[in-house]
Amino acid sequence: MRPVPSIYAGTTNAIAVLVLLTEFAMLRTALLRSQVRLYAVQSLLVSALAVVVAAVRDVPELYALAALSLALKVVVVPWLVLRLLRDADAEIAGSGTLSVASEVLVALLVGGLGFFAVDQLHVSSRVLPTTALGLAVAVVGVSFVLMIVRSDVVSQAVGFFSLENGVSLASLVVAAGLPLILEVAFLFDLLVAVVVFGFLMRVHHSRTATLSTAALTRLRG
Amino acid sequence: MGDLLIVLAVLPFAAVVLSAVAPPAVGRACTVASGVVSLGCAIALVPSAAHGGLKVGFLRLDALAGVFVLAAAFVYAVTSVYAVGYLREDEGEEGFTRYARRFHAGLNLFAWSMMCACLVDGLALLWIGVEITTVVSALLVAIDATEDASEAAWKYVLLASVGLGIALLGTIVMYYAGSTVFGGAYDLSITKLLQAGGRLPHTPVRLAFVLAVVGFGTKAGLVPMHTWLPDAHAEAPTPVSAMLSGSLLAVSFYAVLRYFQVARAAVGPVFPQRVLLAFGVASLLLAALYVLDQHDVKRLLAYSSVEHMGILAVAVGFGAPLASAGALLHVLAHAAAKSNAFMGAGVLARTYRTKEISRIRGAMERLPVSAPLFLVAVFALAALPPFGIFRSEFQIVAGGLGSTRGGWAAVLVALVTLAFLGLATAATRMVVVPSGRPRLRSLGAAAIPVREPSWWMITPVLVGLAALVLLGVHPPADLTALLGRGAAELGGGGR
Amino acid sequence: MSGMPVAAVQALQPLTVLVAAPGVSGFIATAEARMQGRRGPRVLQPYYDLAKLFRKESLAPVGASAVFLAAPVLAMVCYLTVPLLIPVLTSYGLPLGYMGDILGGGIILSLASFAVAVGAAETGSPYAQLGSSRSKTFAAITEPVMLFVVFAVALVTGTDLPYAMAATVRSGADQILRPSHLLAAAALFLVILYETGRIPVEAHRSTNEFGMIEEARSFEYSGPYFALLTWGSAMKQLILYTILINVFLAPWGLSSTRDASDVVLAVVLLVAKALVIGLVVAVIDNSFAKLRLFKITEFVAAAFLLAVLAVFTLYLGGG
Repeated sequence: MRPVPSIYAGTTNAIAVLVLLTEFAMLRTALLRSQVRLYAVQSLLVSALAVVVAAVRDVPELYALAALSLALKVVVVPWLVLRLLRDADAEIAGSGTLSVASEVLVALLVGGLGFFAVDQLHVSSRVLPTTALGLAVAVVGVSFVLMIVRSDVVSQAVGFFSLENGVSLASLVVAAGLPLILEVAFLFDLLVAVVVFGFLMRVHHSRTATLSTAALTRLRG
Repeated sequence: MGDLLIVLAVLPFAAVVLSAVAPPAVGRACTVASGVVSLGCAIALVPSAAHGGLKVGFLRLDALAGVFVLAAAFVYAVTSVYAVGYLREDEGEEGFTRYARRFHAGLNLFAWSMMCACLVDGLALLWIGVEITTVVSALLVAIDATEDASEAAWKYVLLASVGLGIALLGTIVMYYAGSTVFGGAYDLSITKLLQAGGRLPHTPVRLAFVLAVVGFGTKAGLVPMHTWLPDAHAEAPTPVSAMLSGSLLAVSFYAVLRYFQVARAAVGPVFPQRVLLAFGVASLLLAALYVLDQHDVKRLLAYSSVEHMGILAVAVGFGAPLASAGALLHVLAHAAAKSNAFMGAGVLARTYRTKEISRIRGAMERLPVSAPLFLVAVFALAALPPFGIFRSEFQIVAGGLGSTRGGWAAVLVALVTLAFLGLATAATRMVVVPSGRPRLRSLGAAAIPVREPSWWMITPVLVGLAALVLLGVHPPADLTALLGRGAAELGGGGR
Repeated sequence: MSGMPVAAVQALQPLTVLVAAPGVSGFIATAEARMQGRRGPRVLQPYYDLAKLFRKESLAPVGASAVFLAAPVLAMVCYLTVPLLIPVLTSYGLPLGYMGDILGGGIILSLASFAVAVGAAETGSPYAQLGSSRSKTFAAITEPVMLFVVFAVALVTGTDLPYAMAATVRSGADQILRPSHLLAAAALFLVILYETGRIPVEAHRSTNEFGMIEEARSFEYSGPYFALLTWGSAMKQLILYTILINVFLAPWGLSSTRDASDVVLAVVLLVAKALVIGLVVAVIDNSFAKLRLFKITEFVAAAFLLAVLAVFTLYLGGG
């Protein structure tokens, strides 16, 4: 019989599981638009988790962080990418090298690896149960799979952004007390990276008239 | 001395603002001025870095930071001068004003972010600094807006960002390790983490170190995370390539070294040294093989950068003070030699309008000044005496042979020799082999005019060679003290 | 303790399922029709259908062996056995409830579906064979899902008795909120959609033979045998709903005594809860499109993902 987690732990774990599930959903979905929307949902979940932690564990800085990441990751970033998609007139993600079911199985393996790795670490946290850390590492792993198997710039960029969500989740577990100024700086950095990604996606699209990365094979050796 | 530190952290940024709005001529002038003054500041800061270090607000200068700031400032200075000549060739073309503005602003911002990354006190700020270098340099790689450049920029920004995502995970894990000692609210300051030393929990520190090596190592071009590097270096404009290779890789390696310092203090030397040694040998091996058979001159130099990063990692992995001091000297010498080589290769590539080694022949006849300079720069890069890299590699090998990992020192020598062969034959072919053969004439090589580039593009190479000779023959006393001190900090003696 | 004899309560469990199952099917059909703006059949229509079918003669294809005729009966027997094992009406274990655990129940359900598949394969009719081979193909993925759900249950309760799981869930909100419980319940729900032949796997009561899995298997049956099969699949649906409700989602309202009033109340509540689930299924039926056959692997892979994650979160970190 396993020890029963508290209601707080159960709730936060359930939210963290949903974050992982949205990552899997991104892997499964074929439409670029829904991929971006799933990213927004995932960011919303991470922000919600930050609010829950802030309220229950009394870490007031996290409210500010949640508000900022809500504004940035749920509104601004998806809006930017969706605008790009509207201009690019492309809908279907570059079909991966694997079928969806195999993608899920591979991602499941990678995610499970993350789980086991974290389990070996014996990290304990003041604010969140360690299951959330395992889930965060699994999110990072699955986002790697997403970036590897998809061959279009939007999926790869969204994969990177969601990797950042996974890291945010991990930081909630092990570094909730990180000084606010640093957290804000991280977020600002993300914004800059997003702008650069967006710019390069535009450049790519204007150069090759496609969002696919399948043609990016000229430089080798 | 603290004022100089602030100047170093502020001046390039002022140059960014100015060159973004002012006409190209002003932007050019203030870029050169900012580059040269920064180099002056960095040199003036050497003594205080060597004897005790400085701390102003969240800026912190110790010997380790001093070495890397010096390297970054040097490359900044020479490329800012070189860029004047580089851009002059495009002057008058359509959209030049806009291009030049972007170029100068980007160059200054890039240099600023690199120097700040070295100067900030704290692993989180360090991460932010390195992330800024990524986004700025990605835009600079893409600035030419050719298909190849955008491909290279995309690969670069994706891989480097993912790498930095991993590094961020490492940062957070390190924060966790520190918070078990200092409690929740502390700022990841390096000083504090080093003080905590062995009190940090071991497993998280190890994890953080490995994540940091993989993450920052992606940007430092360690194998197997190096795949973006040849593309970005080859497709970027030459001054940017010089900065990417001469200072950006070094700055990323600086981040790895910071984690190395903390990990060493916390879990002892064996584990972090082993990790660095593994990545270093892999980089050396792969890069030496790629250098041997390369068709593109800029890619050749890029793989040579991977090789040199491998040498650095192996040198630090030896753990001998002599080798560590050699590694720091190597950072400086590599910065000078690699920027030289890129600048020389840039001249060749511009003159022949190709980067393919097999189509560049008889450079000696067409470029009587800059072709021999390029050859000398490549020889300096390939560690021929009396240049700085010879000295540094000699120190590294000597230190390695004296340490417990002598076997790896032998491997190092073998692989460095292999890379030397590749570099030297390619450069000699380009410069010395005459282009008189009919096959080459049919390629249009004969139609290339004899035209030396402006002195703006030659002076920096001369300065670089002078610096290399200085480093190789007789490094100044202050510099030696700085390197010794830096090696001591790496060896666990840092404060 | 006064009240009904234990044997009566015990007998009431399969009886409830037997009697209520066609009604639940009828209710879903009506609800679906109403949502589409049709009047639809009466809720009691399945009972009339069954009555009519039992009065009709029954034909077997030439060459079909006794297995063909035995299959519906065997399936019916299986469906009557399973309710003895799971908490249908009572929160305490009834004597026969300890005959088998949740795995035992699963095996008996599989036996039923195996029997139907073999019976269908006996006929030589292409569509029936198509249905049975398809159902067994996808079952190769849904079976592991069920296993993982059972593992999750076993890890939570330390036993694999459904009664124990229901008791654990009732013990507090912390048990419901744990992610493993939610994930396992979600995985089970997806499997139920598959097993009962609902959208997005298969259009219930459609006439498109090419997309059929579950429905195709009864093609060659007629008369009382066909009645047994339809009745059986309605019972299977209700049994699966009961497991979902009384083990995972809402194990409240079960009778904790043998009082007749309590037991009757439990019957009413069970039917009510099953109707709520049916309503949800009807909504799903009307909101999604049927997946292409080759996409069904993706659907069951999603269920597999949920179930495996349930075990992961539980095993590593007590989630």
